[in-house]
Parts: sequence; C-alpha cells; structure tokens
Amino acid sequence: MIRVKHICKSFGEPAQKILHDICFEVTDGEFVSISGRSGSGKSTLLYLMSSLDLPTTGEVIIDNKDLAKMSVEEIHGFRNLNIGFIFQFHYLLPELTALENILLPPRNLGKVDEYTEKAKALLKMMNIEKVMHKLPGQMSGGEQQRVAIARALIMDPKYIFADEPTGNLDTTNGQIVMDILKKTNQELGTTICLVTHEPDYAAMADREIYLVDGRVAERE
Amino acid sequence: MLFLALKQLFSKKKQTFLILLGISFGTMLFVAISGVQLGFRAYITSALLNNTAHIIISGSENEIEKKEVQERIFGNTELVHWISPPSGKRDESKLENYQGWAQKLRADINVYDFSPRLSINVIVKRGPIKSSVGLVGSLPLRQLRISKIEDYLQEGRFEELASGGNKIIIGSGVAKDLGVRMSQFVDVISGDGGVKPFKVVGIIKFGDERTDRSLAFAHLTDVQKLNKTPGRVTEIAVALNDMEKAEELASEWSLFSKDKVQDWKHANAMFMEMIKMQDIVRYFITISVLIVAAFGIYNVLTIMINQKRKEIAILRSIGYAPQRILELILFQGIFLGLSGGLLGLLFGFMICQVVGSVDMGFEIGDSNHLIISYDLSIYLTAFVAALIAALIASFIPAMAASKMTPIDIIRGQE
Repeated sequence: MIRVKHICKSFGEPAQKILHDICFEVTDGEFVSISGRSGSGKSTLLYLMSSLDLPTTGEVIIDNKDLAKMSVEEIHGFRNLNIGFIFQFHYLLPELTALENILLPPRNLGKVDEYTEKAKALLKMMNIEKVMHKLPGQMSGGEQQRVAIARALIMDPKYIFADEPTGNLDTTNGQIVMDILKKTNQELGTTICLVTHEPDYAAMADREIYLVDGRVAERE
Repeated sequence: MLFLALKQLFSKKKQTFLILLGISFGTMLFVAISGVQLGFRAYITSALLNNTAHIIISGSENEIEKKEVQERIFGNTELVHWISPPSGKRDESKLENYQGWAQKLRADINVYDFSPRLSINVIVKRGPIKSSVGLVGSLPLRQLRISKIEDYLQEGRFEELASGGNKIIIGSGVAKDLGVRMSQFVDVISGDGGVKPFKVVGIIKFGDERTDRSLAFAHLTDVQKLNKTPGRVTEIAVALNDMEKAEELASEWSLFSKDKVQDWKHANAMFMEMIKMQDIVRYFITISVLIVAAFGIYNVLTIMINQKRKEIAILRSIGYAPQRILELILFQGIFLGLSGGLLGLLFGFMICQVVGSVDMGFEIGDSNHLIISYDLSIYLTAFVAALIAALIASFIPAMAASKMTPIDIIRGQE
C-alpha cells in the first residue's frame, strides 16, 4: 500500500510550489491513473510516490516504510525487488540486446541465469520474441517500449510506475502497451500507477487522480 | 558490473582503442628507455666492480701535517709563519692490520668473500717498447669468487695465475702496444728498478680503452716479491651478499680502524650522479606520457558519462546504487589501465628486442649490440604506473557519475 500524506513539492529559487498538500492512498492491486494537463505536476507526483524524489513537506509511506527515512542502499534494494519503472522514452541501454536489457534488474543481484527463461517468456508474452538478440537501435518504438515493460516486470514487482508510457507511440502500439499493463494488473495483481494525459487511457484504470495546478481535483 | 563496463567500452571501439594506445605508449616508453638505460648501467657497473669491488679497504693516506710539525719543532706558539709549509706523504699507504681485517670479514655474515691485493705501478717492457701499467697482485681463486673478471678474458684463463711463478695477464691495449701474444715473456720493472720476466698467460679486455691500456694482473706473492715488500697488502676487495648494503657497511666498518673504507658508490660518485640524472629523465618522460594518457581516459569517461546520463538514470531507478555506478566507471578505467599496460609491456619488450639486435657499429663489451635489461622490476613498475594513472583518471568521473540522481537526469531530459 502507498500512502501519500500532505505532500508538497517546491522547486527553484524563489521556491515555486508544484504540488499542494496532496493526500491519497493506493491499495495493493489497484490500477490508478494520474492525469492532468501538461505542467499540472503529475510526473512530479509519480516520482515522489516511487522513491525517485523526496517531497518538500509531507510523507510518502510505501509498505509501511517512510521513504524519507530509508538509507540510499535500502531504497535501491527496495526498487530492485519491488518496483518496476516504465518511462516515456524507453531508456534502454543502447549497447545491450533486448534480452540483456530485460535482465538488468536480476543482473544487479547476480541472478541472470535464474531469470533468463523468465525474460524469454516475457518476450514471448509481449510478442517480441524476434527482437531478443537485437539492439535497441534495430527495434521499432513500440518494440522498445515493450522491452522496457518486460524489464519492469522481470522481478515480479509489487508496484509498477509508468510515466506516460504511450506518449511516444502510435495508437496501435499505445493500445498494446495499455493492454499489457491492464493484463499485468488483473492477472498478477501488480499495483500500477500510470501517468497519462490521454483521458481514454486514464479511464482504463480502476481510479483516476486528476490534477489541476498541483492539486487533486474532480474531472469536469 | 564488469559485463556492463565492457559492453560500454566495446560499444565505442575507436575511442577505446585510442586510449589503449595512449596508455600502452607510456608503458612502452618506460620499458624501452629503462631496458636500454639499465642494461648499459649493469654493464658499466659490472666493469667498474672488476676494478674496484663492493667495498675496498685500503691504507689511509699518511700525510705530513703542518700543525703537527710546527708543534714538534716550535712548541705551541702562533708566531711561526711557514714560507714553504711541510707537505707530502710519510709513507706508502698500506693496511696496518690485514689479519685483523681478515678475521673480521670472515665473521661477517654480509660478506660473501674478500681478496687481498697489492697494487703497484710498473713498467712492462718488451724489446724497446715500454708501457706504464698498474699491476694488481691478488689471490686469483679468491679474485674469481668476488668478481666476474673471467668473463672479460679474451685469451687464457684467470686461474692460470693461481700457481704463481711470475705469470701475468695484461690488458688488450698493453698487448697491442707491445705486440705481445700469449705465452711470450715481458719484462716487468718495479719502481725501484728491479726487473723480472713474466710469462703472459692471458689477455683481458674490459671494453674501456684507457683501462685496457693500463692494467695487468699477477699473483699477490709475485707482485710482493717484485716490489720487495713481502707480506704487504695495499687493499682488500670485499664482495657482499647484497651490493646495495655497501654504503651502510662501509660507514660502519670505517669506525673500527684508521684504514680507508670505501664503498663502490662513493668510489664512483660521478657515475652514481649520472645514474641519478638518467633516472630523473626516465621517470620524467614516462610520467609526462602517462599524464597525457590519463587525461585521455578522464576525457573519454567524462564524455561517455554525459552521453550516458539516461542510462545511468535508468540503472539507478531499477536499483543500481551509487556504489554500483562508481564500480561501472571504475571497471572501465581499470580495464583500460590493465589492457593498455599489458599491451605497453609487450610493445616495450618487442622494441627492446629490436634495439638489442641492431648492430651499432662499435664495440660494447664483447659484442656490437646495445645491452638491454629485461629486469622484472622494470615491467612491474611500468605496469603498476599505468594502472595507477588509469585508476586516478577514472576515479574522478566515476565519483561524479555516482553522485547523479535519477530524478535530476530525468528532469534534465524533459
């Protein structure tokens, strides 16, 4: 469970407040979308929830652990085992093949051999088996994003944080990605927090958190 | 992290290759310069040690002192002014207590062996031709133990002198000047005019023309008889188990007697100064090249880190802690240092082989080739220096990379 308690986030000098006193909870197995216009603070909120950033004030409690009180090693260990990230721009390592990219999280634990079969199964599940030994430069955008999703899923994480994963894809590939996320949530019970500015994709979630100027609001 | 480090390095083959060349060039230069310098140094040192020894113990110079004479004749007064002050030696320098020294040297565990010598100036004559020579009388079998003199014999064997009976080994220059060949006789004239015929049983060549035209060896007893100083020894040549201890032992032994105790480094102070200068130049060149190579590593890694900010962000976000990012960059530096160093050693060795095989057109020792040292310490020093340069050069960018936070990088991309 993720509990967001009265968090505010400011940037710059003089401080400019991006998020204002936000409170909500995400229960285990829930599919939550965070939407809003550009500059509404949705990506900032996702980074705070996912341990990539710390709030200026307030608390983020994840699995009963206060992120602000965890050491650097603890946070990285937690991310490695429990969190999968999907970014808009794929962020694959260009010198690694699709299979090697997917195996990056287990490689950090020295468990590449243990997870190789699973990585291949994920490639098959995403219908991109043919790119297994290809470098990112040799893949289409949709294929790259599916490899990034496979990498996020390889450790069977409890949480997936996706920051506009369809933002750089055409409609067909965008739909494929959303279907995979939905399926993962339903079949594996993975908690998914999805940032999107597309109302259709936001509507696919169990719940939508709609931001207006850094505050939670009702969608009109 | 080694897997990722190598993947990143090999994804930029040209850059990696150029940096490897830079490091290997520095290492190669050190190996090649050191090989030539140390080879030549070993040759010169060996030649020097045949004329001296690790330590030479000789009689102190017994000189007349003005103050002493003045006190004896005029008492303790300041009123005397010498127009021509007394000077000169009281006596020829000789060891006062050879047996005492022999006993001490036999008991010292640092001493490998020693050989008593009597060195006198003589004239070697054959027919009308004369040559002024320093004749060294020694115990041949002991002299063989304390030096590699046998290696410099062009003809004959040094142990031929062991049986005594007025035999002599002369320098190649002396033999040439006098036109003497093996088994022929020469007259040896001592300072007081005594003449004795000596049979030439060997011709020695050190490679230094001045030495080869002015040196001869004979048995100690024969030289003592020729000089009419039976039992006299002017010096003891001492060989140590470790020649680097010579300086320390010489200064310790000099406290025991008035005799002069001189180690080979002090005896060849100018040569040692030259060696120091050579070392400074050698290290200066190598350090300069390695600094350039290290800047190359630093630049390449810094550029690579800037190009790979996105990848570092994703690694951090999937759980690679700062320490792991540090390792990722450091491994690349270590790999560059290790492989560049090893390549440099190989290139350096090959250059030494080529340089050592070139006919220089002049004689060095017993051949026309440069003497090259393949001492393991040269290769170890070069390799460690390359590795340290690479480590220092990669540590700075590695630290910078490990301090990058994923959120700063992601925001920077937006």
